[in-house]
Amino acid sequence: MSEAGVLSSTTGAAQAAPVVAICKAVKRFGGLTVLDDCSLTAQEGEILTLLGPSGCGKTTLLRCIAGFLTPDSGEILIDGRDTIPVPVNRRSVGVVFQSYALFPHLSVAKNVAYGLRMRATPAAEIATRVKAALATVSLTGFEERYPSQLSGGQQQRVAIARVLVLEPRVLLLDEPFNALDAKLRGTMQMEMRHLIKRLGITAVFVTHDQEEALTMSDRIAVMRAGRIEQLGTPEEIFDRPQSAYVADFVGASNFWEGVAHAGRVALPDGQSVATALDGPVRVMLRPHNLVLRAVGGEAAAWDGTIRFRRHIGALMEYEIEVAGGRMLRAVALRDDTIAALAGGDRVSLGVRDAAACVAFPPA
Amino acid sequence: MRLDRAEIMDRLGVGVIVALAIFALALLLLPAVIVVVMSFDTRGYISFPPAGFTLDWYRKVFEQPVLTTAMWTSIKVGLYVTAICILLGVPTALACVRGDFRGATALSVFVLVPHMVPGIVLGVAVLFSGALLGIGPSIWLQSIALSCYVMAVMVRTVMARLQKLDPLLEQASANLGASRWQTFRTITFPLLLPAIMAGAVFTFIEGFDNLSVTIFTHGYRDRPLPIELLAIVQNTNSPLVAAVSSVQILLAMLALAAISLTIGLDRVNE
Amino acid sequence: MNSKPLHIRLFDEVFSGTGIWPAVPAIIVLTVVAVIPFGVLLSLGFSDIVVSRGVIVSQELSLRHLATALADPLYHTTFQRSITLALTTTFFCTLLGFPVAYLFLIGGPWVRRIILVLTIAPILTSGIVRTYAWIVILGGRGVVNGVLMDLGLISAPLRIINTPWAVVIGMVQIHLPIMILPLIAVMSRHDRRLDEASANLGASRLGTLRHVILPLSVPGLGTGASLVFTLSYTTFVVPQLLGGGNYLNAATMIYEQVVYSLEWSKGAVTAMILMATCLIVLALFAWMTHLATGWTRVAQR
Repeated sequence: MSEAGVLSSTTGAAQAAPVVAICKAVKRFGGLTVLDDCSLTAQEGEILTLLGPSGCGKTTLLRCIAGFLTPDSGEILIDGRDTIPVPVNRRSVGVVFQSYALFPHLSVAKNVAYGLRMRATPAAEIATRVKAALATVSLTGFEERYPSQLSGGQQQRVAIARVLVLEPRVLLLDEPFNALDAKLRGTMQMEMRHLIKRLGITAVFVTHDQEEALTMSDRIAVMRAGRIEQLGTPEEIFDRPQSAYVADFVGASNFWEGVAHAGRVALPDGQSVATALDGPVRVMLRPHNLVLRAVGGEAAAWDGTIRFRRHIGALMEYEIEVAGGRMLRAVALRDDTIAALAGGDRVSLGVRDAAACVAFPPA
Repeated sequence: MRLDRAEIMDRLGVGVIVALAIFALALLLLPAVIVVVMSFDTRGYISFPPAGFTLDWYRKVFEQPVLTTAMWTSIKVGLYVTAICILLGVPTALACVRGDFRGATALSVFVLVPHMVPGIVLGVAVLFSGALLGIGPSIWLQSIALSCYVMAVMVRTVMARLQKLDPLLEQASANLGASRWQTFRTITFPLLLPAIMAGAVFTFIEGFDNLSVTIFTHGYRDRPLPIELLAIVQNTNSPLVAAVSSVQILLAMLALAAISLTIGLDRVNE
Repeated sequence: MNSKPLHIRLFDEVFSGTGIWPAVPAIIVLTVVAVIPFGVLLSLGFSDIVVSRGVIVSQELSLRHLATALADPLYHTTFQRSITLALTTTFFCTLLGFPVAYLFLIGGPWVRRIILVLTIAPILTSGIVRTYAWIVILGGRGVVNGVLMDLGLISAPLRIINTPWAVVIGMVQIHLPIMILPLIAVMSRHDRRLDEASANLGASRLGTLRHVILPLSVPGLGTGASLVFTLSYTTFVVPQLLGGGNYLNAATMIYEQVVYSLEWSKGAVTAMILMATCLIVLALFAWMTHLATGWTRVAQR
């Protein structure tokens, strides 16, 4: 599966030499295989996201690229050169840590200057570059503050400035938004993406948050148990998941059990879904792909009863119990007709676009 | 793997530091090992290397009434000190952490002060004050002086634990209908017990082993072990002292085991 | 509430945890046994007293003993020697203790366990026993001489014990755990991500040690140095046993004045000077620590 994922995804990306290339990386801790034959490339200027639940190996992979861990086998190439013999402090890889890891005993300016000082950069040059880096992240005027005097968002910007000032070849971001509250997180994600794109840096970004991944990335690698399950653009991952795991992990999904004949699965409303499978299948239906209608209208896929509804801002989400007691989730814009529906009401469900459904083998 | 000069220097530097650390650790371990080895020597005087193996010195330790009496006195002092420290120290820790009266911080500093004063100064001060009141040195003067000296250890250990306790636990208990005494007995005290035990190990050891306060306050008839040991070490050169020392080292190992079982070694510092 | 028996209500009050109440017994005892005696000690230092059978029978205000002590060259040399010895001990304990703490930081769980055992076990062992070990090692027929003679490097035993060197060696070894413990406390709280960040920004291991780990260890160094200084400045076991009775430091001086020659006023004066000088050095340490930890006191926004 992962092999196929790697192959198909490269077709979408530019074919220039990759900045980061990971070939068959394996890492074990004791008897536990954390990275299992991972292969992956990141192109010049690309934001590549490693997405997966905790324990899937995404952070381990990031730490291998940074050099904090050495893979048991496999290669990690940066600009085509093997990095494994290169000590941590000589890699042109900047890490933004989840906790930011700002030096608490150094002021903002000294935090940003740290890497330059370690490279014995002349004082005058340090001053200009630190100033420029702080301006880039809009922190001019905060030079003499200490990290404990900054808000979470400001600390994160210092952490970014601290690595950007060294002009790294690759930027690694380890769940950098985790420590921020929900509202700030959205803003910072946009800001971070703009900044990285403006500077044209190649970035590898780790997260367990699928929305964050969809917002931030040029391409996403969905990981599972140390392997790369699927690699592709956010659209590919969301619209054409290659496994039920990816479909379930990225975005909400309903799964409907059907039977495939001659390359098609017939839905109850007469539409059909194309598939290469034959026999029993599970069809993924995104909640926004289900339409709510009054009972007895045009051909409906299912009739059911609303069991639960909740507001998600401008949207309304329903859980609808259909025949056989199974629950389907539907999301709709909250207009007047929809707003009138309440728990216990009977409704019909239709499929908006059968082409957006994907069939998977049964569980 | 190719190493350049900077990398070699770096590794060399770390190597030197680690070597120093290993030297320091060996320095901590070796004397104890040597004492134990010498305690089995057959000759009547200390001379390295040992000439043979015998357990006679251990038998003699327990046959010497001076030593066994002294050991028993020291055990009593250790127990008295521990009891006083628990009875006075645990409530004090509660007041320091939970108190909202003015001067709660000052109180926590006040309790710690006697332990920061050199023991020898405290010992002399207590001896003189006793003399002023007509109270001569005795096992009681010694115990109470030592208790004041080490109370800080008990208070600090229990305070550290209390500060980490979630106050919501006590509120939950109250919310479920427990009186404050019931809450203390069923919730707070059991959670504090490991800290109290750890504090007890240290206060006992201090009562048993302390010399700086003891030397000025101990009773002339109840001579505790450190005083006897000091005299023996100064005046004799026989493996008997090594045997006594080995017994003490064994006791220390037992105390260490007790600590690692009650609070865990890595939390001793708290 | 009122239906509860009296003793339960009393306990409730005591354990309500908001009053000063539970601390009262301790406050009384500490006042009587520690605070008042310090006052007495001070007053004795400023008095002429007559002692008979261990009881003070008369006391008169006098600055005679203090003035004599301050003018006495023996006091000058003794205190100078004591402070030098204590500072030397503190220096070597830092020099050996910090590497142990660093090894604790970079070491795995087993290394950490070994360090903890080797550090805590001596603290639980009597100081006399540990000093005695050095008699065995450094003595005329001790381990060092035995080994050197067996190797044929020397023909007659070296005189190591009863020299200032023996005192310094013993002092350092005995106080080393006191230095290591507070450092280990700092190290176990140390955020290893900072070291990774430092390496990622280009620092070598020594660079990280110098620029990240060392500055963040200052509080532990301060605590450790203060403890080691206080203890080594005021101990008489090591000088007494390894200095061969002719190595006089301030603590042995007090011991002799109070226990042997029964010059209590002199003893009180010496104890006062000991305490005052000790506090001055500790204040100096505290000031140095304060300077190096300014960042911990910046206002939280």
